[in-house]
Amino acid sequence: MSLTQSKDALAPRPTAMTLYLRHFFPWQVLRFILINIRMTFMILKSHGSSIPPVNKKEK
Amino acid sequence: MRIVVLGAGISGHTAALMLRRQLSTEHEVIVITPNSKWNWIPSNIWVGVGDMQASDVTFELKPVYDRMKITYIQGKATEIHPEGNDSSNKPFIVVESTAALNKGEIRNVEYDYLINATGPKLNFAATPGLGPDGNSLSVCTVDHAVHTASVLEKLIGEMKQGKKKTFIIGTGHGTCTCQGAAFEYIFNLEFELRQKGVREMAKIVFITNEAELGDFGVGGLSLKGGGFVTPSKVFAESLFAERKVDWITGAHVHQVDKTSLEYETLDGERANLNFDFAMLLPPFGGVGLKAFDAKAVDITSKLFMPSGFMKVDGNYNPKPFEEWSPEDWPRTYQTTYKNVFAIGIAFAPPHQISMPRKSKNGTVIAPAPPRTGMPSAVMGRAVAQSISDMINGVSEAPTQSASMAELGAACVASAGANAFNGSAVSMTMFPIVPNYKKYPEGGGRDLNHTTGEIGTAGHWIKKLLHYAFIYKAKALPFWWIIPE
Repeated sequence: MSLTQSKDALAPRPTAMTLYLRHFFPWQVLRFILINIRMTFMILKSHGSSIPPVNKKEK
Repeated sequence: MRIVVLGAGISGHTAALMLRRQLSTEHEVIVITPNSKWNWIPSNIWVGVGDMQASDVTFELKPVYDRMKITYIQGKATEIHPEGNDSSNKPFIVVESTAALNKGEIRNVEYDYLINATGPKLNFAATPGLGPDGNSLSVCTVDHAVHTASVLEKLIGEMKQGKKKTFIIGTGHGTCTCQGAAFEYIFNLEFELRQKGVREMAKIVFITNEAELGDFGVGGLSLKGGGFVTPSKVFAESLFAERKVDWITGAHVHQVDKTSLEYETLDGERANLNFDFAMLLPPFGGVGLKAFDAKAVDITSKLFMPSGFMKVDGNYNPKPFEEWSPEDWPRTYQTTYKNVFAIGIAFAPPHQISMPRKSKNGTVIAPAPPRTGMPSAVMGRAVAQSISDMINGVSEAPTQSASMAELGAACVASAGANAFNGSAVSMTMFPIVPNYKKYPEGGGRDLNHTTGEIGTAGHWIKKLLHYAFIYKAKALPFWWIIPE
């Protein structure tokens, strides 16, 4: 069968510390700031680019 | 000049607001959309688990357009006549009203510029039994999501009585896109069942047309961290294993019956799955617009691909998947008619991003490229700027490029809605369409800008984006400061 049982999967499992940090408020505040900075960079890089204007005279 | 925008989704609404902001009021901006309400679709997953109400993700469009001096027509375009007709060379579209007052009334609307941002037709008919009119549920529209939440609530009640239930979430056809929405829904569902104390009574299965988990229709991602470059497959499988959610990949659903579905996988196996609750996304198609030239000859195939999506300035010459390049992707979204553009889901992608595959039986199982959310809005902004520049005499050709091969995307996928113990996956990728020549080490993407992590901070960002984008869509003071 093609059904992959999650409990048998050979996938890495997070440690107790990783799971704890995912909801640990001070750590998540820091991550919130860093993710926002990262996303801001992405947004600045991803708003397209300008193409030089084309006018009849230049054609 | 008159600019007509078809559709008021993320791309069309963004384009209309930007045009209104950039053009003087001597120019007319018209939005034609079949719906009276705007819907922040990314939050429909929260409506679908009962965490939000329909009113939290929608608002009436007319008051916003009235305030912004945008003409609003509630209707659906059925035909495009880009050369006019035998009595006038003025291009026009044919619109059928969907408003309660004059439902079905047909009228012609002339235009100088046209933006096709109609979004998708939800093609539930592609799989027998698929969809809310059949045997499965959906969160694609807010009404679907409300219905899904009511079914879920009933099942939770039965689970509290000690009955075990099977939930199947995923894609209802081999050519679906938007796997991210199914990903978000399944983890929000799992989270809600835990919150309600009935998780142990539920078997949850994810069924997807992705060849591997974490593909998301973009061929997967490579993520740098902890001293390794890790495929998103590992990242995604880890989350599924942690939450004890089973999965079936590379699957095409053949049929959905009342309590079971039949599917086929890439290895050619056919099997059935029984369920009590199935939320399955449909494949997308174009909305079925027809096009005619001045002599009323049908030119639909000139303007549209067979899928119904509109051809723009991409390279649509057929060639093997391996030979496609980032340069084939459209940049300006201009069609062969210089005053007609198509953006968002309405434009035809030149090829799949994720490798298309067939099962041993020849069944096509190929995720379609996603083009929703941030890239859709960026396209809307870029095309609005190009049209404004063309109208204002800055240029005779588009002045903005927004190729998905040059754009990145920031994506937040919710995995449980709670400010303290909820979480979301925060991802960035650059570029969306991989460039294997430029970034050979990162699977076609820049490893410095392709990231992913899960935590409560992601949920805060997701919630923040929900309020920020609804604020922006309502065009409230300084709305334009909020980026796409």
